[in-house]
Amino acid sequence: MANLKQIKKETLEQNPSLLNPVYKMHEKEVRVVLRNCDVIDPEDINQYIARDGYFALEKALALPPVEVIELMKESGLRGRGGGGFPTGKKWEFAYNNVSDTKYIICNADEGDPGAFMDRSVLEQDPHSVIEGMIIAGYSIGAHTGYVYVRAEYPLAAKRLQLAIDNAVELGILGECVLDTDYSLNIEIRLGAGAFVCGEETALIASIEGERGMSRIKPPYPAAKGLFGKPTIINNVETLSNVPQIIFNGPKWFKSFGTKDSPGTKVFALAGKVKYNGLIEVPMGITLGEIIHDIGKGVGKKRQFKAVLTGGPSGGCLTEKHLNESVDFDNLVRLGSMMGSGGMIVLDDHDCMVDIAKFYLDFSVDESCGKCTPCREGTIQMFKLLEKISDGTGTVEDIEKLRDLSVSVKESSLCGLGMTAPNPVLSTLEHFYDEYLEHVNDKRCKSSSCKGLINEYFITDKCTGCTICARRCPVQCISGSLKEQHTIDPSICIRCGECFASCNFDAIITK
Amino acid sequence: MTNIKIKINNQTIETDSSKTILQAAKDNGIIIPTFCNDDRLDPEASCRVCVVEIEGQKKLQTSCSTKVQDGMSISTNSDKVKKSRNEVIELMWSSHPNDCVVCDANEDCKLQDYMYQFDIKSENKYDGFKRTFETDKSNRFFYIEPDKCILCGKCVRICSELQGVEALGFNQRGHESFISFAYDKGMDFSNCVSCGNCVSNCPTGALMEKSKTKFRMHKTTKTRTTCPYCGVGCQFDIVSQDNKIVKIEPLNKLPNEGLLCVKGKFAYKYVNHKDRLTTPLIKENGAFREASWEEAYTLIHKKLTHYHNEFGKNSIAGLASAKCTNEENYLFQKFIRKYLLTNNVDHCARLCHASTVSGLATTLGSGAMTNSIAEVKNNEVIFVTGTNTTETHPVIGSFMRQAKKNGAKIIVAEPRKIDLAYDADVFIQIEPGTNVALFNAMMKVIYDEELYDQSFIEKRTENFEAFIKVIKDVDINENAEICGCNVKDIQEAARLYATHTSGIYYAMGVTQHSNGTNHVKSIANLALMTGNVGKKNAGINPLRGQNNVQGACDMGALPNNLPGYQKVYDETVRAKFEKAWDVPIDKNVGLQLPLIVNGAFSGTIKAMYIMGENPIVSDPDITHVKEAFNKVDFLVVQDIFMTETAMFADVILPASTYAEKDGTFTNTERRVQRVRKAIEPIGNSKPDGVIIQELMQKFDPNYTIKTAKEIMDEIAELTPIYQGIDYDRIDETGLQWPVKDKQHMGTEFLYPEEFGRGKGYFTPINYKGAAEKPDAEYPFILTTGRILYHFHTITMTGKNEEIMEMYPENFIEINPISAKKLNLKQDDYVVVSSRRGDTTAKVHVSKDIGEKVIFMPFHFADGANMVTNTVLDEVCKIPELKVCAVAIAKV
Amino acid sequence: MKEHISKQDLHLFEENILTKYRKNDSPLMQVLQESQNLYGCVPIEVQEVIGKHFRISPAKINGVVSFYSMFTLEPNGKNTVGVCLGTACYVKGGERLLDRVSERLEINLGETTKDGMFTLAPTRCVGACSSAPVIMVNDNIHGKVTSDDIPNIIEQYNK
Ligand SMILES: Nc1nc2c(c(=O)[nH]1)N[C@H]1C(S)=C(S)[C@@H](COP(=O)(O)OP(=O)(O)OC[C@H]3O[C@@H](n4cnc5c(=O)[nH]c(N)nc54)[C@H](O)[C@@H]3O)O[C@H]1N2
Ligand SMILES: Nc1nc2c(c(=O)[nH]1)N[C@H]1C(S)=C(S)[C@@H](COP(=O)(O)OP(=O)(O)OC[C@H]3O[C@@H](n4cnc5c(=O)[nH]c(N)nc54)[C@H](O)[C@@H]3O)O[C@H]1N2
Ligand SMILES: Cc1cc2nc3c(=O)[nH]c(=O)nc-3n(C[C@H](O)[C@H](O)[C@H](O)COP(=O)(O)O)c2cc1C
Ligand code: SF4
Ligand code: SF4
Ligand code: SF4
Ligand code: SF4
Ligand code: SF4
Ligand code: FES
Ligand code: FES
Ligand SMILES: [Mo]
Repeated sequence: MANLKQIKKETLEQNPSLLNPVYKMHEKEVRVVLRNCDVIDPEDINQYIARDGYFALEKALALPPVEVIELMKESGLRGRGGGGFPTGKKWEFAYNNVSDTKYIICNADEGDPGAFMDRSVLEQDPHSVIEGMIIAGYSIGAHTGYVYVRAEYPLAAKRLQLAIDNAVELGILGECVLDTDYSLNIEIRLGAGAFVCGEETALIASIEGERGMSRIKPPYPAAKGLFGKPTIINNVETLSNVPQIIFNGPKWFKSFGTKDSPGTKVFALAGKVKYNGLIEVPMGITLGEIIHDIGKGVGKKRQFKAVLTGGPSGGCLTEKHLNESVDFDNLVRLGSMMGSGGMIVLDDHDCMVDIAKFYLDFSVDESCGKCTPCREGTIQMFKLLEKISDGTGTVEDIEKLRDLSVSVKESSLCGLGMTAPNPVLSTLEHFYDEYLEHVNDKRCKSSSCKGLINEYFITDKCTGCTICARRCPVQCISGSLKEQHTIDPSICIRCGECFASCNFDAIITK
Repeated sequence: MTNIKIKINNQTIETDSSKTILQAAKDNGIIIPTFCNDDRLDPEASCRVCVVEIEGQKKLQTSCSTKVQDGMSISTNSDKVKKSRNEVIELMWSSHPNDCVVCDANEDCKLQDYMYQFDIKSENKYDGFKRTFETDKSNRFFYIEPDKCILCGKCVRICSELQGVEALGFNQRGHESFISFAYDKGMDFSNCVSCGNCVSNCPTGALMEKSKTKFRMHKTTKTRTTCPYCGVGCQFDIVSQDNKIVKIEPLNKLPNEGLLCVKGKFAYKYVNHKDRLTTPLIKENGAFREASWEEAYTLIHKKLTHYHNEFGKNSIAGLASAKCTNEENYLFQKFIRKYLLTNNVDHCARLCHASTVSGLATTLGSGAMTNSIAEVKNNEVIFVTGTNTTETHPVIGSFMRQAKKNGAKIIVAEPRKIDLAYDADVFIQIEPGTNVALFNAMMKVIYDEELYDQSFIEKRTENFEAFIKVIKDVDINENAEICGCNVKDIQEAARLYATHTSGIYYAMGVTQHSNGTNHVKSIANLALMTGNVGKKNAGINPLRGQNNVQGACDMGALPNNLPGYQKVYDETVRAKFEKAWDVPIDKNVGLQLPLIVNGAFSGTIKAMYIMGENPIVSDPDITHVKEAFNKVDFLVVQDIFMTETAMFADVILPASTYAEKDGTFTNTERRVQRVRKAIEPIGNSKPDGVIIQELMQKFDPNYTIKTAKEIMDEIAELTPIYQGIDYDRIDETGLQWPVKDKQHMGTEFLYPEEFGRGKGYFTPINYKGAAEKPDAEYPFILTTGRILYHFHTITMTGKNEEIMEMYPENFIEINPISAKKLNLKQDDYVVVSSRRGDTTAKVHVSKDIGEKVIFMPFHFADGANMVTNTVLDEVCKIPELKVCAVAIAKV
Repeated sequence: MKEHISKQDLHLFEENILTKYRKNDSPLMQVLQESQNLYGCVPIEVQEVIGKHFRISPAKINGVVSFYSMFTLEPNGKNTVGVCLGTACYVKGGERLLDRVSERLEINLGETTKDGMFTLAPTRCVGACSSAPVIMVNDNIHGKVTSDDIPNIIEQYNK
């Protein structure tokens, strides 16, 4: 069997750089989940061990399962998959449900379009997830584990498989984990292109070889999950927190974040900010700190408009929320949600009706179709939004849309339908005027809704850089270098290429 | 399960904690709307119309999936509930075609009902999206119109979870979802068995019967009754309009729990068919002419009296009918015994479960299923042998598949890889006629491995020693070779069967042999040895075939039995009936059906009265039967159609079908169930019971005609096992005999303490093969039987064009290797011949049948029974319909 | 384009691939993925073999195949082009890029070019949001794409 201490010692001797301080993009970051990313070679299990990997497992295996669960409860860790359910409690339920067979599943489906935290962890620190799974499995008495990986992440799946194989070779996984009488086998299952399979019951259905349709809860998976057996499902980030909590103790963990949302959260910061990328920050940090301090703002020319959190399930937060604390409960209070951690920043070129429509389109596509409100409601909502952005909508349509959104939210079967209206509801709340403008003035001031654009027009801000003329797919822009260009409206197809390409805001819409 | 109190709409209700809110509400007359809920299925909670508001909970909950809790206060009609529910219906309607006026589901559609009930306007609230899909008409009995589908998923779940077929599925996802057969390629590309259980449960017009009769629901009447086809005895409502059956709706009651098969659901057209006999016919100079009832009765009375007086009472014989009611069969045998004074009365049970009756009478006590249909679902092991259950007792077949889903193991021993064999954990493909070799080998394994139930054997049985001597000598290898199967499979089957609560299910593959009685006794040995009888969820279960073959036997339509298996040779029994009927009863057993035919052939039988049987198609060696019938001097046939047999008659009496009369049928699990009149007799036809009684009046002018209900009272008085039965008691759900008195609730399973005969009797049985073995001249074994879509001599199923399109003519199933050897291709025609005769058939090549064997259904006139063997089982006189040697030649 | 899969190939598929999953509790998703990888699609003949082998009804397989967007009945082109329409890419003009690619390849989303070289596949976030807007061709990610880059990117694969 593997002697962890020995491996650690030898590996550190060979790679002393593994002891260097963890890279941080900004001083406000705290790296717990991302502590190994860009530090270790993810394909080398020894390097993971060298950074205290699998020592938490050793520690956990020496404790009775209830005590491990107790530690988790004490830490206050809440699920990072979006719902924020206390992890220790979830394990306790599964532990208390007596059964000869139980399962542990890692949810690596990361379907939120605009989020890539889990991908990075899987690709760069797969062992931390595996270690978390073994500890979880041990706690509840599961002997089979699955990692359900999004099919779009082939590298993640590959590295994870390698990590599993290496762990098995070292006796850390498989029969008799670290020479105890606990055994766990972990298998990878790939998704096949269905966002709803991130929802835990749909995920279970998918592993069972069924259509990925959500199932009614209760019974919760912890009572009746995969193949009808008690099952816990945890998110990648949740699980990779687990070894750190066991290793350093719950107190340490609680030293980050807020009372009700302890620890850190990884965000995928993207959209119209200068710095795009993964960041890990303590919970309770303000939105403004993330966007302006870490993300460095939207730049001088543009104006910050909103930030989207929680993906298609979330909502938008605006200027006035910049001082709000980012934690599970506060985001919900503000009408958005934490979601998995996607954070997309918008500026004045983004139309909020269009963004709502974009998310609805996604939900329409991804609705499993099982329950009436989500299946029929989202498509009707989308059609109403289409009318509004086409310029054929009315004020009644906006009210119908709001009404329907509330109904779908309240009566859908699973999280997808319950949250799909959020982008609509929150844009309606914060940007109602923009909706009104679309239906009353037939105008989209951020020039996003093509149906409302009659003409693109070049103003005297034009420097004659020619970029728009080059981008125009129908060559309807003429003008010489360094001279103001003009658009021939009879040829223009209103594709918006010119508008997007101009670096001088010289093109406007009418 | 604990009793709790809840409040629904401020009304306090006592209920128990295992119930959902929906159920608790329903129990108390509070109806909550539902689309996706079905009591037989786990809740899916997908339609979202059944929402209720629970005090203290922010979110509305679906009542179909939420269990009640003590102290809950629930509202089913708060403003919040109304808004949410109406919005959901609104959404369904928005994408739905506005077609009600021309829709086949009009007035029988939940969507429409709820729209009306909840005041939802027919103009669409949302107009962004409409469903537009192609209608699938590929099934012959129903069509799928996905535009009208609200995706409640009931059809898909019923097809898969209850019917066990999975022919329907969801296609695509989200708002593009629709239900379809696989790949959208239609029914023929699927494994759909046209049971219509999807159709029966669709809440809208998305799945509709392709009925040619147009009807409006409000003009129809519903009559609850029992299926006239097979012995399962499914309960359904006949929906009729203008004296015509327009639809059949299954009932969610025992025994069928809402399921039907294609025959029960769709093959009802024979009732109103134009070919129905509508007036008595008398043959004159070789041709039939119409006659009045009076004339017909008078002639029959005159003729029968004549033969009785001239040639003795035993020159007359009667065949009763397993298609007719208990009351009618009782009357028929009473008529034969009381007015003709002979015991020459028998019926098709002779060709069917005679060996069961004789084999189980001597080992256990009576020849019926020991256990109930509902128990099938809870068997740990289901041993299926010599029954093609999914085709011949389809609803029981579905229950077997449900059992499999619940974790039961299935063993199948059959010459053909029947559908259930694909679900089997062990499938043993045996050669026809080798049952005893198989059972003995299994018992040898059980003996060697000490898997038998010692204490059961000691306490409950006798003659074990003599029996086990035979088993000890069994050579498993040798027997495996006889059966043509593996030793390993036999061992596995034996172990599975012996070590679980196991039920045996068998039918014609076991009984229709020249030593059928021994086959049955061997089965009894197997069950006795392992203690798998006399307890719940196990037993010896002969699946009785005809809708009322169990009842016809119960009623004494047998030459040795008076009603209730009371023996004619038992003096006290005779005394009882002599007193009741006021005539002497012959103490000699009468002739069995094949001997009646032989008697006709040899001239000792002069006159015959056949009620509802078609021997010219169903008896073995048709050439012989036809000759016999030609010789009979006077033949009365009482049928609903001009059958092949009726063609031979001197007098034809037009009977009314089950739909036109009151009475009872007894199904295979001994359940006595009501048959209720739904329409008036067609034309001049009369219910069989009326005909027999009017004829009795000819013999006895003082006889007063009784109603069916009164007849049942008479039966109950004379028949101990029916003693507790009367129409009031069986009105809701039938009762399973023995029903000892008017308080007794009937018997779910037999022999919990002791067997009918006291101790279970072990019979030592040596293997003896079929009478006719294949040889150079006749190299193939022919086995005969039935198919799902047809029933017997197709007088009834043949009236459905849809079925005739599918199965229009005689065919054989033959293995591809044998077919190749004979240079036969699919759809070629062949002549199949035996020592007795020959017949033509189409070739169906099938991997599911062994190389030495061919299968032919016996449904078609001048078909299988042209070649079958008349050799009889010595004890019970059943012919060997399952094995004969044949040659095949291409035409 | 996919040639008709021969009986022998199907047999090999069953022998070599399906048998691997014999002990599996729920092999359906995995064997469908095997087919999708091997043939670039899950044609009906393969579904039938799978159905017979594992005794799964055709309707059920059809239901699963049609549910997941990665399973296709027809094979994809030699190269699969995905213009990301995840949120980060969308707000950075992903949709416009898609229009240009669609014009360039003369096919709509979900279609395959006549020569079988390219399939334009619906794509939602490939986890490279910080390089938005992103085009993924096969497993390669092209980040920060402008419409000028499109001809080049496509040409790279057009051989
Ligand atoms: N659809 C339909 N259903 C019916 C009927 C009908 O006509 N049509 N008739 C009803 C009646 S009256 C009856 S009796 C039942 C009969 O119901 P079943 O007995 O189920 O029907 P069969 O097709 O006669 O024969 C059953 C099986 O016996 C097998 N078999 C043949 N020889 C042997 C043998 O030697 N050993 C074993 N173990 N198996 C053998 C055949 O392969 C066949 O599959 O069906 C009833 N139900
Ligand atoms: N080769 C071969 N031959 C067989 C068998 C086999 O497996 N193989 N199976 C045998 C078995 S198990 C059986 S049960 C027999 C069945 O043999 P039969 O009983 O002869 O066959 P059925 O076609 O059911 O005949 C019933 C008749 O009753 C008529 N009928 C229907 N309803 C009524 C009614 O209400 N009143 C009256 N008066 N008549 C009615 C029908 O029109 C039909 O003519 O066949 C046997 N023959
Ligand atoms: C539509 C939908 C999509 C989801 N997608 C994901 C996902 O991609 N990854 C994830 O971990 N959880 C996802 N979830 C949440 C899971 O259902 C589940 O709550 C989570 O995996 C539990 O893990 P946690 O407790 O560690 O957060 C999704 C939920 C919904 C309703
Ligand atoms: S809410 Fe949407 S995704 Fe969830 S079950 Fe209903 S239809 Fe499916
Ligand atoms: S299915 Fe029902 S609601 Fe739809 S058109 Fe027919 S009757 Fe009307
Ligand atoms: S008729 Fe029966 S077998 Fe066919 S699809 Fe409907 S339920 Fe399934
Ligand atoms: S066809 Fe009927 S039963 Fe089936 S899902 Fe549609 S509405 Fe429900
Ligand atoms: S199973 Fe038998 S009783 Fe039931 S519907 Fe079919 S034929 Fe009638
Ligand atoms: S009946 Fe409860 S949700 Fe459909
Ligand atoms: S949104 Fe395009 S890569 Fe994430
Ligand atoms: Mo029968």
